[in-house]
Amino acid sequence: MTTTPMTAIEAEDRRQYRTTRRRDLAVDLSMALATILAALAIGFLVMLATGNDPVRAYEVMLTGPLDRSFRVGRWLEDATTLTLLGLSVAIPFRARQISLGAESQLYAGALAAAAVAIFLPLPAVAAVIVPMVAAAMAGAGMGLVPGSMKARLGANEIVATLMLNAIAVRVYDYLVNGPLKEPGSSAVHSKSIQEDSALTPLSEWFGIPMGRANVGLGLMLVTAVALWLLITRTPLGYRIRMTGSNPDFAAYGGIKVPRVIEWSFVIGGAVAGLAGAHLVQGVYGRLEPGLAGSLAFEGIVVALLARNNPLVVVVAGLFYSYLRAGGDIMEQQTDVGTEIVVVIQAVIVLLVTAQALPDLLKRRIARRQVGVR
Amino acid sequence: MSSVLDVVLSSAFLAAVLRVATPYLLAAFGGLVAERAGVSNIALEGQMLSAACTGALVAGYSGSVAAGAVCGVAVATLLGVLLAALRLELGADAIIAGIGINLLASGATAYAVYTLLDDKGGTSGLKSGTLPTVTLPGIESIPVVGDVLSGQNLITWLAFLVAPFVAWLFYRTRFGFHLRAVGEMPDAAASVGIPVRRVQYAGLALSGALAGLAGVFLSMGYVSFFVRDMTAGRGFIALAAVFLGGLRPWGVFLAALGFGAAEALAVQLGTLDVPPQLVSTIPYAMTLVALAVYAWRRKRRGTTTEVAASL
Repeated sequence: MTTTPMTAIEAEDRRQYRTTRRRDLAVDLSMALATILAALAIGFLVMLATGNDPVRAYEVMLTGPLDRSFRVGRWLEDATTLTLLGLSVAIPFRARQISLGAESQLYAGALAAAAVAIFLPLPAVAAVIVPMVAAAMAGAGMGLVPGSMKARLGANEIVATLMLNAIAVRVYDYLVNGPLKEPGSSAVHSKSIQEDSALTPLSEWFGIPMGRANVGLGLMLVTAVALWLLITRTPLGYRIRMTGSNPDFAAYGGIKVPRVIEWSFVIGGAVAGLAGAHLVQGVYGRLEPGLAGSLAFEGIVVALLARNNPLVVVVAGLFYSYLRAGGDIMEQQTDVGTEIVVVIQAVIVLLVTAQALPDLLKRRIARRQVGVR
Repeated sequence: MSSVLDVVLSSAFLAAVLRVATPYLLAAFGGLVAERAGVSNIALEGQMLSAACTGALVAGYSGSVAAGAVCGVAVATLLGVLLAALRLELGADAIIAGIGINLLASGATAYAVYTLLDDKGGTSGLKSGTLPTVTLPGIESIPVVGDVLSGQNLITWLAFLVAPFVAWLFYRTRFGFHLRAVGEMPDAAASVGIPVRRVQYAGLALSGALAGLAGVFLSMGYVSFFVRDMTAGRGFIALAAVFLGGLRPWGVFLAALGFGAAEALAVQLGTLDVPPQLVSTIPYAMTLVALAVYAWRRKRRGTTTEVAASL
């Protein structure tokens, strides 16, 4: 890049652009915070209305996850999977592709990771990495199907991903109950993975009990930074953003929109595949029935709350898992059901999706500032 | 193979198909009405679940099955209005708002059941009863048909009447004409004086009500209690049926019936050493293939009406 001295007008423009950006960021952040507070307030009212003690419940929920080291581990382990799933949908969302397929991609990844980690003997380091690569590839392949259908044929990606989820869940269920079930075991699960393939638990590093939290946490952070760099600093990221904000204009500007759409699905799929690998190699050490639970849909919530910014997804994922972990502890210690957390999550989604609210606010602030000038 | 044929051709199996297809039919027509009004209702799942839960709880506590059914349908209708309000007043993305409503339903129903009955699983401890079955006089004397139709739940009968009703509504009434116009081109509809918002509100309310009937059937017909997350993805299958049926009433009818038959078959084949999970993937795989084929044909023809483009 060549640096030419800026003219006064350019400098002024730039300053103005930066102020706008800073203001928008401030509005976004305060909106996110206000959303969370509003949702917690609604949860408070619901608990009050149903005859529970909301103060005690929130106290346990909000302090519980930190008061013992293994609870911290439980939170971080959950946050790792959830954030990876949030990242996996944030990328297609950035290209304005409503991919709901993280579930199918996660199961594909989990199966691939388990197949390699159980049956393929590998030397020490490769034993960890090869299953993860296999998982990312399987997830990417699973993402490519709806991606290509959308990009090449114009088929609705929402329906396609929902169908693939339904298929993947059933095939997974069949495999865990059938061909991959550990012979001679009465419980339904696969054989355990080879020891070398396991992600090192954090307990070994810190010497305190951390439950099943493992180095997958670091992997998740690296993935988030890599995706942020991809979106903000690379040509592909630029194309994805352009396709998302205006596909016609992007195509007019020479961007091959179908290919960009496919890439957004493939990258998202690979990340969801890694979430599957984390569950197999880090958390359970084998395939369990119903591995992902409702995590895939909650990943969407995380991505939305973070407005699809990969770095913010990490914060949102940590926050969200904190609520989940806190909800479980709350249920053990008070009479309040952990489901209240799901209600709070739902309120957050509904508030976040009400696009008109923050835009109204931004416009009003901008108008006032113009008025001042 | 002959044993499979025996199963499929038995009147017990056909009766099971009607029973299993009931929630798919009702929810799919709910999805169809919303889709044709120009707003995807992905909240069918949550609307069904809320209706199922409300129905069982109200019926259990009040002792009146009818009150339960009415309240269940009312709650689902309100969720339809909520989706419309989020979409039309606050500019929310219909899909994401739908996901939010589904989450809300899943959390709120489980929370309500746990708070009221101290039970994580469902309302099986509460006696809530089922809606009455209907037997037309004299129908039992007809061979096969009598066996298939007699003793079917009231809502199953309703479900099969919904197809002609929606077809009539769409193509024979002013409201249906407005609804389709709004869905295809809201600006054009507004320019000739059709109250776009009011039509969309009405469409989504009707959509919610139909999903609500499906939900009420699950907890007060199919079985007599509510189980946590008992809809088990039926709302999404119904949505698939809407697209597989090409957004036309009779197409959707056949698709939903087909899904019901496939599920009933999966249950039956479970006894015949065929993995039921794999059989139950068939409707989804069919929808996926159909989706691709439709899209491919449309692309080749190059015709794009607004509704077709939303497929």
